[in-house]
Amino acid sequence: MKLDRRSFLSFVIGGAAGTALTPLPWKLTDDLSIWTQMWPWTPVPPDGAYSYVSTTCTLCPGGCGIQVRLVDKRAVKIEGTPGHPVNDGGICPLGLSGLQLLYGPSRVDGPLKRTAGRGAGRWTPISWDDAIGEVAQKLAALRGDGRPQAVAAISGSGRGTFSALVERFMTVYGSPNLMRPASAADACEMALYRMHGQQAMAGYDLENADFVLSFGSGIIDGWGSPVRMIRARSLWKERKVPLVQVEPCLSNTAAAADRWLAVAPGTEAALALGLAHVILSEGLYDYNFTAFYSAGFEPWRQMVLDGFAPDQVAQITGIQKDVIVDLARQFAKARAGVALWGRGRGTTPGSIDEAMAVHSLNALVGAVNRQGGVWALPEIDYIQWPEAEMDATAANGLQTARLDGAGLEPHADARSLAHRFFTAVAEGKTDPVEALLVFEANPLYTQPDTATVKKALDKIPFIVSFSSLQDETSAYADLILPNHLYLERFEDVAGPAGLNQALIGLTQPVVAPQRRTRHAGDVILALSQGLGTPVADAFPWESFEACLEETLGDDWDALVANGYVARPVSLPHWSSAFGTASGKFEFAGTYRPAPLEGDKGAFPLVLVPYDSMRIAGGTAANTPFMTKTVGDEILKGNDMFVQVNPQTADSLGLREGLYAELSTPRGKARVRIHLTQEVRPGLVAMPRGLGHTAFDPYLAHKGVNVNALLGPVDDPASGLDAAWGIQAKLAKA
Amino acid sequence: MSIKDDKAHAVSDAAAGKKGGGTILLFFILGFAASMVLGWVVFPQLLYSTKSQPFDFNHALHNEEVGDCESCHFFRQDGTFSGVPSLAQCTDCHADVLGESQDEAVFVQQYVHPEREVPWRVYSRQPDCVFFSHAAHVIKAKMDCATCHGDIGTSTSLKPYQENRITGYSRDIWGQSIAGFKTHTYDRMKMDDCAQCHEQAVEAARQAEMMDPVTRHFRQEIAPMIYPLDRQAAVGSSVQTQRDACFVCHK
Amino acid sequence: MEMNARQHKFGMVIDLDKCTGCGACMVACMAENNVPFKVDETNKRDSITWMRVYKLTNGKPYPEADACFLPRPCMHCEGHAGHSPCVSVCPATATDYSSETGVVSQIYTRCFGCRYCMAACPYHARYFNWWDPVWPDGMEKYLSPNVSPRMRGVVEKCSFCYHRYQLAREKAIYEERDEVAEEEYQTACTQACPAGAIVFGDLNNPDHQVARIVQPDAHHHFTGHSKIAFRLLEQLGTNPKVYYLTEREWVRKMCDQYNFGPQAAGH
Repeated sequence: MKLDRRSFLSFVIGGAAGTALTPLPWKLTDDLSIWTQMWPWTPVPPDGAYSYVSTTCTLCPGGCGIQVRLVDKRAVKIEGTPGHPVNDGGICPLGLSGLQLLYGPSRVDGPLKRTAGRGAGRWTPISWDDAIGEVAQKLAALRGDGRPQAVAAISGSGRGTFSALVERFMTVYGSPNLMRPASAADACEMALYRMHGQQAMAGYDLENADFVLSFGSGIIDGWGSPVRMIRARSLWKERKVPLVQVEPCLSNTAAAADRWLAVAPGTEAALALGLAHVILSEGLYDYNFTAFYSAGFEPWRQMVLDGFAPDQVAQITGIQKDVIVDLARQFAKARAGVALWGRGRGTTPGSIDEAMAVHSLNALVGAVNRQGGVWALPEIDYIQWPEAEMDATAANGLQTARLDGAGLEPHADARSLAHRFFTAVAEGKTDPVEALLVFEANPLYTQPDTATVKKALDKIPFIVSFSSLQDETSAYADLILPNHLYLERFEDVAGPAGLNQALIGLTQPVVAPQRRTRHAGDVILALSQGLGTPVADAFPWESFEACLEETLGDDWDALVANGYVARPVSLPHWSSAFGTASGKFEFAGTYRPAPLEGDKGAFPLVLVPYDSMRIAGGTAANTPFMTKTVGDEILKGNDMFVQVNPQTADSLGLREGLYAELSTPRGKARVRIHLTQEVRPGLVAMPRGLGHTAFDPYLAHKGVNVNALLGPVDDPASGLDAAWGIQAKLAKA
Repeated sequence: MSIKDDKAHAVSDAAAGKKGGGTILLFFILGFAASMVLGWVVFPQLLYSTKSQPFDFNHALHNEEVGDCESCHFFRQDGTFSGVPSLAQCTDCHADVLGESQDEAVFVQQYVHPEREVPWRVYSRQPDCVFFSHAAHVIKAKMDCATCHGDIGTSTSLKPYQENRITGYSRDIWGQSIAGFKTHTYDRMKMDDCAQCHEQAVEAARQAEMMDPVTRHFRQEIAPMIYPLDRQAAVGSSVQTQRDACFVCHK
Repeated sequence: MEMNARQHKFGMVIDLDKCTGCGACMVACMAENNVPFKVDETNKRDSITWMRVYKLTNGKPYPEADACFLPRPCMHCEGHAGHSPCVSVCPATATDYSSETGVVSQIYTRCFGCRYCMAACPYHARYFNWWDPVWPDGMEKYLSPNVSPRMRGVVEKCSFCYHRYQLAREKAIYEERDEVAEEEYQTACTQACPAGAIVFGDLNNPDHQVARIVQPDAHHHFTGHSKIAFRLLEQLGTNPKVYYLTEREWVRKMCDQYNFGPQAAGH
């Protein structure tokens, strides 16, 4: 039998007929479609039992209560805690996307030691014992040399038990050089100190205000405790409480305000004083308060009446005279009018005079320590540890002058002047700094004039970062001893920014540590043990958790159960309300035209940073989700747009989308142009928070870091950085 | 090729046809038979790979000891179904080796002591796009576990897990019969099998409504006048398919 | 299955005067619904955002300029009797309209990616997966089991967090209740919004806040009673279930073009 063509065809036809009568083609089709519908590489998230853990967000100083949804032991979602006094269920984009940080690619895996040049990104993993041993050895050697003051530290939050622990460590070790990153809160605190005679934070009773006058504060752009502010603003909408925004550009807050006063940049204080002039001259001020509870009212009044008549102020600010008069009357006649200060998110610097001028305006209408006004809230004093014993080395070290000049004339009431520290170190004007410890801070990104910060870091031979994430500063460190992320550790959050309540929030572990990290508090305890008596004796706690539990005492159980405790704030009696020499409120604050850095001829424009809820501009950096929400009029590919008024652009021959070189006395950057009527002619607006070089590919190298173009300018009245902008130039690239 | 050549071919082919009609039929039958063997016997063998469970499990024994299904397979407070028990549930009893079976030793040594969850292969595992509510079926529709899961609760040993090499799902979803025939409700668990039951429910509800003349009149005559945009009663909720809406069973 | 259950019509009211443009709704949605992300998300045409906040500007010169933010989820259009624009064109029945909930579904495994629905949707609420989603190593740990991750080649969109309804209903069944309470089923964006600008609920239930605010008028194509309420592109007749509120006339004009509804008189 021969297999010829016909037989073969017959075989095939038989086969085909047979196959059609078997399940093979149908089953195969079905299976293949299932396969293509559920590719094996498409993840299938495992199911399990759902539960929630309540904790407190620490990504910004807002102190929102969050609850994390777990599926078995996986954290799958962060939500706001309903009923929480700060945020009542609301939550911001950063807080929502915290899990991208927890499980994300920016985490530091474990202790790392640098193996190549700084910033080269070459590291070798080391054990925790070696890492702590190395730091302890370095610190012990410096102490042995009698130079504990050569160790400096920068600590992010500035409040709470962990910060107190760092402060205690630095004290017992013997270095006065503990700093915190600069923010407008510094000027605000200093203003309160000068005017109230108290170390206190400003708490704004905004929920009870009936007229809100904001001098550039980004009420819905991240100022204070962002979610609480946005909630307050919705409340004002419902109650028809007017919000007036004084700001050169149309920020989201200005757009949301009932009225936007497009003031000339930097003249906000003049407007405040112009309003004061109307209130004073028309007798609309609070007689009772000014007569009985204030000091220095007469000279201040005279200063205002002499120099800030509405005509003059209209000239300075560009706001029409009748608008000023009208606004002043409305503000003064409101039952509970309150004025807010602190540009943008509240991290943009400003002069102390300006802060005091606005605060005096509050005092003038009796808004100080009044319902619906502004309160001076002393720090909550639950951290009561026995005085630590110091040896002679420590005492001597603490005697030395702070390298940033804070606490010394002429800046006697400054507590921390981080920008001066970096400038001084960079210029080599100080005794050498031998070691820098960085806790929850990223100065190489967040400090204005990053080039100078880098120069300063270059002069410090030993930098230790305790960052959980690969930020710019840790990339430039010698050792990284990664802290747990906030979802993995215990921490307390004392008195969230700007809140009208004394509140302590507890951050507690939601998941087990995802990487080989260790709580920085525990590392400090270990370091103190490594240094021996007397440093070790100041830290009797077994662990940071034990320390925290002991410190919080009776509140601990309630904190663990609810995530927060709220203490009632009783407004002090007038007789004890002020700690000034006079025992009364001290009127102060004026307007002094302060030129920005840079020659107006060479740099005819002014660069101003702006804040957005969609871009985290501080120590916390953007998550991939947040960057995704950034509009394509701000970021396109890796190019960033600066916002310019068409009028400005026309005069420079620039058009929408063109590339341009933006230069300032501190640096240059290639940017693109976005034309908008929201920006005042003559200004160049740039978002804060882009242009990272570290973190992950979802953030790094996108746009420009505005801090690389800005530079600090000392406020002669306080020593703080007062530069809210810088002269700049735009040219076609 | 010329016409002549074609003709020549045709002639010789016809001659061959006379001679080889039987051969051709034979080849047809051969091909047919081969493909039948391939499709019905070889294909299923190739399609599924038999995987063993981490260790054997005796449902009947546990049922006897514990007394009911719900002790291990329970509803959580939020209405979700716990499904396959977690290790923590097992260790309530199995903190140490109970009895003398080899499987028990494997369980305790390899999973209980190292606190490792048992990687059971689940016969009823559905694709991720499926949303299945045990509550809706067991509590609301009062269905028995066996309607979908068969008699696994009374089995003394786990059957081998046959994994579809293409899709990765258990053979139990398509059913043991490669042709897709089923005799019991639990023989297959594909979408059509869900839909079949759901359609019956829709039809039953419709019948029940139409039994009552007042309701019938209202539904058919009055309701469409008052609510012209509303769907007709007792039709599946999907406007497009007239069956239950996609999101009833999908996520 | 629930033949005698009342017909729900889940919908949303967004108060544009409260919205601050913070983007929390967008991120809440992404976190809730396993929305993927890429290294570069600046090409907004392929950037998947079920909820997207647009910025509207009044076009006037400085300092008369004004801006408004407009959050845009899927509108879950009812069209005429459930024939929404996208559903009507789907050749695969991968999307349907449920008369029981008013939700327009999207079944990813059913979709074969023809993108007719995207062309049909006047709100750009539908997104196509041009690539397989990639979560960086370890990050797939936060994925929620309640929402299926999508694959390359399918369309996805806002589901009004339908999985939350599924879960709420399971709980109701477990507790032997017939109905899911208003607060039990809220979308992720509603829950997250710090401004309280989004209200979600059953438009058919007069006790629900959405119904009280909007009072949809069944005799006028379900337009809202309130003078400051409008729907996007009203004149297209898509009959969407997302209503907006604003006192600002320029915003209303820009969004519904005043061509339909009670305001249209005289046009």
